[in-house]
Amino acid sequence: MNAEKNKQGLQGGEKKGKAGAPSPKILVFACRWCGGIGAGRAGWKRMDLPVSFRVIPVECAALVEPDAIFRALASGIDGVAVLGCHIGGCRYNEANHAALKRLELVKVLLDTAGIGGRRLLLAFGTAHEDHQFAEVIRNFHEFIGKEPSLKPWLGAGEDIFLRREE
Amino acid sequence: MALSINPGIPGDPSMAVLVVGGGVAGILAALDLARAGRPVTLVERSQRLGGQVARLDKIYPTDHCAFCPLWTDIRNCLEHPGITVLSSTTVRKLERTGDRWAVRILREPPFIEERLCIFCGRCESACPERAVLPLLDQAYPPVYRIDGNRCTRCGRCEPVCPTKAIDFNRKTVEERIVVQEILWAAGFQDGDYKPLPEYGYGTHRDIMTALEFEEWTAESGPNGGRILRRSDLQEPSRVAFIQCAGARDLRNLSYCSAVCCMHALKQAAWVKRRKEDIDCTIFYTDLRAVGRGYFKYSMNNVPGGPLRLIRGRPGLVVALPGGGIAVTYEDTLKQERRIERFDVVVLNGNLKPSLNMEGVPGTPSLDGEGFVDTAVGFGCGFAVEPADIMDAAVQAASVSMRILGRENT
Amino acid sequence: MAHTVVLLCRCFGEIDGVVDLDGIAGRLREQKQDMSVYLLDSLCQEDDGPKIETLLREEKAREVVAALCAGDRGYHPLRNALRKAGIGPSGHATVDLREGCAWVHRSDPAGATEKALDLVSMALAALAEKEPSRDVTTAVHPSCAILGAGPAGLAAAAALAGQGIHVHLLDRADRPGGMLNLISKIYPEDDDGKSRIDPFVREVEANERITFHPRSRVTAATGFAGNFRITAEGPDGPFRFRAGAVIIATGAGIFLPRGLYRYGELKEVITQIELERQWIRGTPEKKRFAFIQCVGARSSERPYCSTICCPSSLKNAMRVVAEVPGGEATVFHRDIMTPGSVLEEYYRRTMEKGVQFVRFREDDPPEILGEKAVEAVRVRDAGSGKEHVLPVETVVLSTPLVPNRDNGALSALFRVGLDSHGFFSETYPLHPLETRLDGIFIAGSARWPVSSEKAVEQGQGAAMKALALLGRDRISALSLSRTPEEKPGHGTVAENACTGCGNCVAVCPFEACALQERDGGRFVSRVNKMRCKACGSCVSVCPNGTMQIPEHNYRVTAAMIRRSFSA
Repeated sequence: MNAEKNKQGLQGGEKKGKAGAPSPKILVFACRWCGGIGAGRAGWKRMDLPVSFRVIPVECAALVEPDAIFRALASGIDGVAVLGCHIGGCRYNEANHAALKRLELVKVLLDTAGIGGRRLLLAFGTAHEDHQFAEVIRNFHEFIGKEPSLKPWLGAGEDIFLRREE
Repeated sequence: MALSINPGIPGDPSMAVLVVGGGVAGILAALDLARAGRPVTLVERSQRLGGQVARLDKIYPTDHCAFCPLWTDIRNCLEHPGITVLSSTTVRKLERTGDRWAVRILREPPFIEERLCIFCGRCESACPERAVLPLLDQAYPPVYRIDGNRCTRCGRCEPVCPTKAIDFNRKTVEERIVVQEILWAAGFQDGDYKPLPEYGYGTHRDIMTALEFEEWTAESGPNGGRILRRSDLQEPSRVAFIQCAGARDLRNLSYCSAVCCMHALKQAAWVKRRKEDIDCTIFYTDLRAVGRGYFKYSMNNVPGGPLRLIRGRPGLVVALPGGGIAVTYEDTLKQERRIERFDVVVLNGNLKPSLNMEGVPGTPSLDGEGFVDTAVGFGCGFAVEPADIMDAAVQAASVSMRILGRENT
Repeated sequence: MAHTVVLLCRCFGEIDGVVDLDGIAGRLREQKQDMSVYLLDSLCQEDDGPKIETLLREEKAREVVAALCAGDRGYHPLRNALRKAGIGPSGHATVDLREGCAWVHRSDPAGATEKALDLVSMALAALAEKEPSRDVTTAVHPSCAILGAGPAGLAAAAALAGQGIHVHLLDRADRPGGMLNLISKIYPEDDDGKSRIDPFVREVEANERITFHPRSRVTAATGFAGNFRITAEGPDGPFRFRAGAVIIATGAGIFLPRGLYRYGELKEVITQIELERQWIRGTPEKKRFAFIQCVGARSSERPYCSTICCPSSLKNAMRVVAEVPGGEATVFHRDIMTPGSVLEEYYRRTMEKGVQFVRFREDDPPEILGEKAVEAVRVRDAGSGKEHVLPVETVVLSTPLVPNRDNGALSALFRVGLDSHGFFSETYPLHPLETRLDGIFIAGSARWPVSSEKAVEQGQGAAMKALALLGRDRISALSLSRTPEEKPGHGTVAENACTGCGNCVAVCPFEACALQERDGGRFVSRVNKMRCKACGSCVSVCPNGTMQIPEHNYRVTAAMIRRSFSA
């Protein structure tokens, strides 16, 4: 089915979605629990979502390091979303409380650096139903699509990131 | 806590325990017993574990989803090597043999075999009667289910299933198991409102039981969490919650169902959170918010102003010809008798223990209201007396400990 | 070079109906030499498990990427197959190509295919960087520390000792029984207070496995589930012992209503406990009793219901009517809190016995009349709106149980939580007897005001929870998971790079990190693997990437980010 269209996908080319609509690149960190459950449910309902997001599953949103967000935005990804459990609902005691505060701080840093804290979306406990997940993804996709593309600046700060990898 | 994957002390088959009921009480008791080394057979008459709690949208007092915490323990139960879960299974006969119980159980396998179903939904598309629907309640793992009442056995779904999971000729399986103890954890269900015509149940689409209202307004429900009238799918402006409707009533249930005051407070709070200008009134007799955080919960500021709490048990609930529902009551703290019009009326209180062993030989000892008599049997949760999640969890652990202690007597 | 196997599941067409799996397989085979790619109709059917296991063994696979549905099918044969083929959590990665890709991008198969290839590439890149955490095991000390020898503690002690566990039972007082020593009769069966706990007290005395430490309290506690080290102070000085688990059952205090309803001013205004003392001495002389509920409870200072006061008043009111010649009792209340079947029946019985009830409003409480002695109660009956003056001789005030004053200190010692009122709290509604730390349990009124009957139940329940731990000889750190599977790893510190900043110590929700001194006065962080749950909080706050979870370390994330958008 759709063999021709599929093959087209693997040929790469210009980053455009259907009908030439803008395709911002979005990276989603989703915790296995409240964070990721909405994604699964959206799948059961066969909801139609834009293709240009990739999910990295994590055990808990607390694992998402500020560095990872900076690295993502530095490598050409246009927006990052972190989906976690609602406050009081984390199964790792209060891990997500600190995580949320930390990530709010990252937003401030992104603003200060001129990248824009608006490129970081935090959805703690608001994406666990199918329609909620779909709404979060679609809205963020539309919003980021209107933002200017971030040219990858990884070259400049690569050594900082490389040090972390040792 | 933890220790979920470790089976614990190896089990002695002659010390097996039968847990009847796969709701919160049964699941937690099964896990406690299995982790202490007792082989457990858990029978559940419906197709899935989770019982009534799995049907809830949110639970009090945390206001979190019911699903997540329950899901973990359902999975622990299904995966524990010492627990055998038999769904779609009922107890048919009990017999004492020496110091053991011989139990005859009956499994009526569903048309769609769960272990084969990959949840692709081709059966749903093929069915002309809308008799095949996803079983998402406990969503672990999700499967499809054929509603035997709607199904015409046309057979169109059978060939489209890629794993041949559908078989209309599944045979019921009867089995005889021998166990050392039986633990009754059959929970509760909505009672019948026929003996109580003054509440108008069945005369108007918007007079519902609390559980029906919960499913109707659930975030994962048919309206995505929106509060709508069932009669015309419009937004209501006034919702009434009537407590003790059928409970603390010598004509029906003499007892207090324990969970309803908090349940109504929770539902009303969520109605306000979803649309704050909906007027919510709770008609109560005694506002029994007794557990940890419950009283504070009853004082909670909800969006759009406080809930209206009126002390009085309405005498009449009548569907109005022009639309809407009239509720006649006395506000006993003001000594005022009034009639008010509401869009939706939610009835609380008529919750009965589910254990129905009519015609089953060897029935456990039940008292007049259907509760298990713990002087002669083991039980936990609503099967023993009205209990909420916290109570059921404590009782499950406690009764498991007492069962273990039996081997020393 | 580890041999990598990629399993692409068609899901009977559900995935490859949208995603071009053949094309993806082709691209993957081009990329990596030491990789085998398989396309299978399914990975979840009964006979798939052995099939996959055989395949992995023949391939001598060391790393596996499985691309399939969202998975999480508990019986999933894939997990068993991986385990049997000797592949641990750091050796495999799964990719959701169904719910997360094919099913939500049906209108864009080309885009879905590209995304699927990216997701698989991300998993391959992640796998190359994953490392295994080292597991540790510890012996479980087959003993339990039970703090508090009231009904909850006694029941727990008897239950555990009956299962072969040694018990250290500590109490502030010099004899067991707690508050039950002060109660004359217990509802609803009207048992004698003593007779309820006597069997447990006898067990404590008779059973050699239980060591009762009177007049003792805990002064220090270290360790973790399976291996706690407790230091306590007793009448003969300090003593230490080990325990595999701890049950906190220290009960609660009673609120003294000074200044309320003329308590302290008129001697006939007494509390429930003082009435119990009267009953223990003999039948009270006065005949006309007033019971006032919610004294200092369900108020803004103490916004909770103390659970036991209504049933206690009903019990004592019935007793007055039954045992005091010419006795009369009236209960003044705001709501009668007798939920359930047993208590509701108790309430009905009380009414049948001739006890009177008067409801008052919170903003219009009753007034005690009388100059030198109690003479009457003036109240506005909320049900009729009318004011009444009832002649009474004794006023019994129902006051709430309050948290013990040293709950704060004890909670800090064990690092478990208290709720907003000061009672010990649990973390999850389905686990009401378990605290935020493994191996430490709570029962009885230390947790929340309960009757002695329920306290016994909770004590037995806490014993059951403790037994799941204490019944084992050894436990492994990876098995102490908060999820249905093993932990995905634990926090691991690269000691040579740790600066000893202490961020991880501060942020860990499980108290798993601690700073330890090394040669040269350096401090480095050390992770207690038994406590760690691999949530990743420590990783996020580590300033230089020293703390990582090997199975999901920073290189894994960086590699996934690099491969996320190939075009």
